[in-house]
Amino acid sequence: MLRSWLETAADDAALAWLDDRIAKVESGDESALYLGFGLAPRKVGKLPLELSSLQLDLAREARSGWNPSTWNIGQAARTLLLLAIPSDDPGPYFARLEKLFNAAELQESVALFQALPILPHPELLVDRAVDGLRTNVKFIFSAIAHNNPFPEEYFSEAAWNQMVLKALFIGAELDPMIGIDRRVNPTLAEMLIDYAHERRAAKRPIPVELWRMVGPFADETALEDMTAILADGTELEKQAIALALAASATDEADEILRTQPQLAAQIDQGKITWSGICAAAYAN
Amino acid sequence: MRYIDPHIHCSSRTTDDYERMAEAGIVAVIEPAFWLGQPRTTAGAFHDYFSSLVGFERFRAGQFGIKHYCTIGLNAKEANNERLAEEVLDMLPLFLAKDNVVAVGEIGFDDMTAAEERALRVQLDLAKELELPVMIHTPHRNKKKGTYRSMDIIEEHGLAPHMVVIDHNNEETCKEVLDRGYWAAFTIYPKTKMGNQRMVDIVKQYGSDRIIVDSSADWGMSDPLAVTKTGNLMLSQGISEEDVQLTCYKNAISAYNQSGQFNETDWLNPQPIDESRLFEGNSVLRGQRPDPGAPQEDEIIS
Repeated sequence: MLRSWLETAADDAALAWLDDRIAKVESGDESALYLGFGLAPRKVGKLPLELSSLQLDLAREARSGWNPSTWNIGQAARTLLLLAIPSDDPGPYFARLEKLFNAAELQESVALFQALPILPHPELLVDRAVDGLRTNVKFIFSAIAHNNPFPEEYFSEAAWNQMVLKALFIGAELDPMIGIDRRVNPTLAEMLIDYAHERRAAKRPIPVELWRMVGPFADETALEDMTAILADGTELEKQAIALALAASATDEADEILRTQPQLAAQIDQGKITWSGICAAAYAN
Repeated sequence: MRYIDPHIHCSSRTTDDYERMAEAGIVAVIEPAFWLGQPRTTAGAFHDYFSSLVGFERFRAGQFGIKHYCTIGLNAKEANNERLAEEVLDMLPLFLAKDNVVAVGEIGFDDMTAAEERALRVQLDLAKELELPVMIHTPHRNKKKGTYRSMDIIEEHGLAPHMVVIDHNNEETCKEVLDRGYWAAFTIYPKTKMGNQRMVDIVKQYGSDRIIVDSSADWGMSDPLAVTKTGNLMLSQGISEEDVQLTCYKNAISAYNQSGQFNETDWLNPQPIDESRLFEGNSVLRGQRPDPGAPQEDEIIS
């Protein structure tokens, strides 16, 4: 599928170079892999792939949750080289990937992390993905956390929770995280409630998406903070709090939500959504 | 006026330097792999150093609106640790094909030993194979002999002079370097290399063809604004704007874009500095806005 996308995006000479490299990598040639991985964008192309919605649908059918909408030509070429690494024996396969990860520059890191959902032996790459989130470079963090089904499928609860918490700390969106609602858990809610409380005490703004994971587990502390924000927060904060209250199953939360009939009605009509709140929060 | 510093060791410099460089008009830099002031003892230390040149340091520079490129190579001083040198030479192909690598360098002579010569020859062949330009470091001691010897070896390996920048030239070496068809770079570095008044005189004498000005600012007493200060001094002493542009900007592009990886469009259509990329409490800028209004220093470097 990846190879067919490049048919239209790259010229014959570029494809010939790539096919030759793929054959060499398949035959086990290590230096062809390392040099080819580096050279791919300058040899094949750097422009965005600009996949059609049909192509993106086919991608999702081939691999659930896979979303290569932001990919560029060089990245697709790099991914084809990764898929060409002989993987029957996991030992040497993993050693080669390790070498690529350890020497990766910024764009290579993005390509490697965004390839995770379609690489063989995914279980070998979990620690690498978790470690990748320790980055200081936001777009590398996003390559792992956003539009990537890998974390939901392979991360432990602790690793998932750290990813969500760090996203809030560094100003990365939560809405593009695949599985964000499916992987809510009380431990995460507790961490987020603590964080929200800490931010309120310091008179600092609280990221509005935080309440999305708090709603189902809102305790007394959380409800106090939420009530206070409903009284003095921005319009967007109020919407987020109302949406979180609506997701909570407790009578206390229902009672607080009833004090905001207008917001409750908008939620019932589907006018307030987490995706909308995320878009508004990061609109600037 | 836009400037490029085609030889500066940013890893040794502070964020204050980056701010001042950006304010002074420096839009792109090339950071050659070099010696860190003390010898490395393991190949892993080289691996991580190269990795930071193509990774985090590039990102860090970008936070200040400066496009960062580098050259990868085993420097002459550390080529003398022969066991380590072999491991590092084997590692180079892993890094030479990276997107921001514009040359093999800085390589050449320090003590003029056999081990240094071997590392130079191996790396010249690598550059030839990958069609990358070469950045040559010429020695502080025995400079003239070291410079001539480097050029002899380059010619022996069949590299075209227009693919090679010979750096750290002085009044004694530059005529021969230019006559033999190489790019001649000059390092404006207090006390030990070139002063910028001397640089003005060189441009007056030789013109601007194939002459490149850089700072080599590093962990020593050096000046990351050396290129811009030299440009200003040239202008104030009657050198034409075109010649200043060539020596302090365009010639570096012509030399290093022979790699295909040093395109002016990279910084003429730059990404806006994305402060939201920074991590609160864990960021390059530590959540602070850069403080403009750096003090004006004496413009003369001697």
